[in-house]
Amino acid sequence: MNVATTDLTRRFGRNVAVAGVTLDAGPGVFGLLGPNGAGKTSLLRMLATVIPPSSGRIRLLGRDPGVYGQRRQIRRRLGYVPQNLGFYPGFTVVEFVEYFALLKELPAAEVHRAVAVAVERVGLGDKATAKLRTLSGGMLRRVGIAQAIVNEPELLLLDEPTAGLDPAQRVAFRALLRDLGQQATVIVSTHLVEDVGAACTQVALMDQGKIVFHGTPDELVARGAGTTAAGDAPLERGYSAVLAEAGS
Amino acid sequence: MTVVAAGKPPAGSARGGLRLLRLHLSSRRVPAALAAIAACAVVLRIALLWQWDAYGALQLPLILETGCAVAIAVTTASPFGEPERATGRWLPLLRLGTALTLTAAAVGALAVAGIGAHLAGGGLDVLRNLAGLTGIGLLCAAFLGGALAWAAPTAYLVIAIYALYTQWHGPALTTPWIWPARPPHDLGAAVCAGLVFITGLAAIALRGARDAANK
Amino acid sequence: MTATPAMPVPTRPGRTARVPLAAAGRLLRLELRRNVMLWLLPIVAALFWLVTYRPAMAYPPLWNVRAMTMQTSASAVFVPTVVGAAAWLGSREARHGMTDLLSGVSRPRWVRQLATWAATTCWALVAYLGCVAALYAVTAQQGAWGGPLWWPAAVGAASLPAFSALGFAAGALRPSRFTAPLVAVAAFLALELTAQFIQGDDSPWQVSPLVAGPWEIGADHGVATFYRYLPDLPIVQLMFLAGLTAALLGVLGLPAGSGGRWVRRFTAGLTTAGVLAAVTATALAGTGRLDPHGMIAIPALHNPANDRPVPYTPVCGDTPIPVCLHPAYASYLPTLTAALEPVLGELAGLPGAPARIDQAAATYRQESGNGVSISSAGPAMRGTPPTLHLLLPFQLARSATTDELTSELRTNTAREILNSVIGGDRRRTTDAQQAVAAAILKTSTLPPGSPTANAAQRFAALPPATRHAWLTRHVAALRAGQLTLAELP
Repeated sequence: MNVATTDLTRRFGRNVAVAGVTLDAGPGVFGLLGPNGAGKTSLLRMLATVIPPSSGRIRLLGRDPGVYGQRRQIRRRLGYVPQNLGFYPGFTVVEFVEYFALLKELPAAEVHRAVAVAVERVGLGDKATAKLRTLSGGMLRRVGIAQAIVNEPELLLLDEPTAGLDPAQRVAFRALLRDLGQQATVIVSTHLVEDVGAACTQVALMDQGKIVFHGTPDELVARGAGTTAAGDAPLERGYSAVLAEAGS
Repeated sequence: MTVVAAGKPPAGSARGGLRLLRLHLSSRRVPAALAAIAACAVVLRIALLWQWDAYGALQLPLILETGCAVAIAVTTASPFGEPERATGRWLPLLRLGTALTLTAAAVGALAVAGIGAHLAGGGLDVLRNLAGLTGIGLLCAAFLGGALAWAAPTAYLVIAIYALYTQWHGPALTTPWIWPARPPHDLGAAVCAGLVFITGLAAIALRGARDAANK
Repeated sequence: MTATPAMPVPTRPGRTARVPLAAAGRLLRLELRRNVMLWLLPIVAALFWLVTYRPAMAYPPLWNVRAMTMQTSASAVFVPTVVGAAAWLGSREARHGMTDLLSGVSRPRWVRQLATWAATTCWALVAYLGCVAALYAVTAQQGAWGGPLWWPAAVGAASLPAFSALGFAAGALRPSRFTAPLVAVAAFLALELTAQFIQGDDSPWQVSPLVAGPWEIGADHGVATFYRYLPDLPIVQLMFLAGLTAALLGVLGLPAGSGGRWVRRFTAGLTTAGVLAAVTATALAGTGRLDPHGMIAIPALHNPANDRPVPYTPVCGDTPIPVCLHPAYASYLPTLTAALEPVLGELAGLPGAPARIDQAAATYRQESGNGVSISSAGPAMRGTPPTLHLLLPFQLARSATTDELTSELRTNTAREILNSVIGGDRRRTTDAQQAVAAAILKTSTLPPGSPTANAAQRFAALPPATRHAWLTRHVAALRAGQLTLAELP
């Protein structure tokens, strides 16, 4: 398993954001669903080695992120797009992606090619030399994805990656996710259940810091079948049904 | 929250107005700016306990006046950007009130720090220099953005310190546009400083600080 | 609960070790291209022109004055700019909401910060060296004697990494909208405060990069021409600035998350070494003494070889009594000869008159507080043939315009030369000596209508040849104070 967490907990003061999550994920696209404040972002931040867990155990790519040397090895193989993507407005698209390639310790000789490939994969080849301050929100999101995949990560963590993308870009993005999921473990936190249906092989649903469902998208659909749960699509009904059960 | 409040202050409600004011000041980090101004005043007070030569005695208040001016200027940066600009008519007044209040607070704090000590130039000098420097900072905020508003007052400080130096080692720079190097009662210098302050106030009230690119 | 077997994951050995320098170079290049210091360079250039270049050009082309001006006034230009820019960049990650994103990268945070700091410092150094090059090139073009002084330039250059590190550390450790402006102003204040605290030649505050020589006399015309520019204080200042830089950069690596164990151990060592170097340098600066040639010597670092005079061939004016200057001051010669020629014409050939007038090296002595006395070493008239050794006004730590210099030469220097021949000084002068001096110097300091003033007028009205012949006969008696006003022609 590329991701293995056991009883993972994260507290911010008195608030328990993640409450004992145990999760395994191998190669493939893994969807993380849940309402606002369910703990998805905190879980992803722990998996991205940005914050340490308050308790519990994590192993990423077979390594312990609590140990500096192993954490550094994990980070070389990690891609991460946070929910609020910051950027340096004066950098061009290529410079921004190159900056992350260098910070992820790609060998200098490989950087140029890797950056070009990443920028092309997100469809920003024609904007490669544009300053980030001139880009639209959707394009900036794609720049964020480009920096995440520039090192061909074995573990890719995406927090709301499709926010701001237009329908055509979302379709292309799902294809990219499926492609990346062939080799890597891709964990996508999203509110958009259609993204999960189209791209994910596995899905987990979080509520109040806990995983209340873990299975395939079809299994989630099945949970909503024959119920009166809210939703326009089968996945949405499954989502609502599981949350209703968890809340009862 | 300020954005919402700024758009719809409860009509005729003093309480609502005060709440709007409080939220606006909080969004601009005004309490921190006041703390910085207080710190400048304390440093000035402590420094005035020492004996200074004539050159140092003129330099010292000017540096601390610049400290206050940059603290005021950087409060113009808005954390909200365009959503705030699209709100109602109160925003220019709030910006104007904030800048004026902070400038008055800074002049008062530095003047109080100089009471009972030999503050070169006296309160009049503090008022003129601080108003002028703040004006430069506000203009810089309008053109470069609130976060970079300190750049121009800091550059002006270097020029002003040099102009003071030329009073001892001529030829002296005597243009009223470098007002800190002019005597406190110099009318031309006061007019120049006042003009810059009023222009800066107008720019920041009407236009606000330029928004940062990623806000 | 799911049991999770630990899966061996294939690693990519040697991925970073092969060309780490090339990657660091690319990172630095990227930071250089997008560095805010680059945009501040025009401001720096304008301030340099106003505060350093323009005043420096008002002085004659002397390497010592230009170099010391470069060190001191350029610090005033660069410090707030560099500190502000570095603090601005230090807080960049927090300001742009990049903290989370950058926390997930493998390169240690300290290395990343080092690249940003290095880029800021590089631009500041490029600007500083450009300013030095401009000032020195013009000085060389103006025909300054000797060669450029590099120690002051080195101190100025070394202050940039230190102040850049100061600003960067403040911005990185306390990111806020107030950090850059307040740190820039505070650094400027601190620099000015150090100058206020200097009391005497043994003040530890001399370690400040604002100091180039004894504080009170500043960029003095008289130092480092007859003798070498002493490297003692610059060495101490370089040690202090290097220590400060190391300590501040080390501090950046101390917080958890800055890097691995080795990075944090290294930065702890760097901080310790930096603090030790800075403290040692400050203590050494406190042992300084003003050497007789006007520079601060540090006994522990002093090399006696630097006390040897610098050989030179004087440049002499075409006056009845040749006036010779150190070649560094050759630009003063026309003013000097024009001011002194009338007096020298009267004195040439008189018994006891000097065969030549030479510029003497000044001797400096520390007095209480920051006071420095400057005088000439040894008797004024000495040697065979007799040579009058004089200190010229510009050696007395006073800056003056050409007109002021001419006036000073006509009143004080000419009187000094005259007194060496006809006798008397300001305190003990006979009426006859006063009258002759007033007549030759054409001054009107005597009370009008007084017997001395009348005698001076009478003597001045004589034809030059008659006056010279009378002086040739009577100068010995006049010098001895044996003549009365009635005996003057």
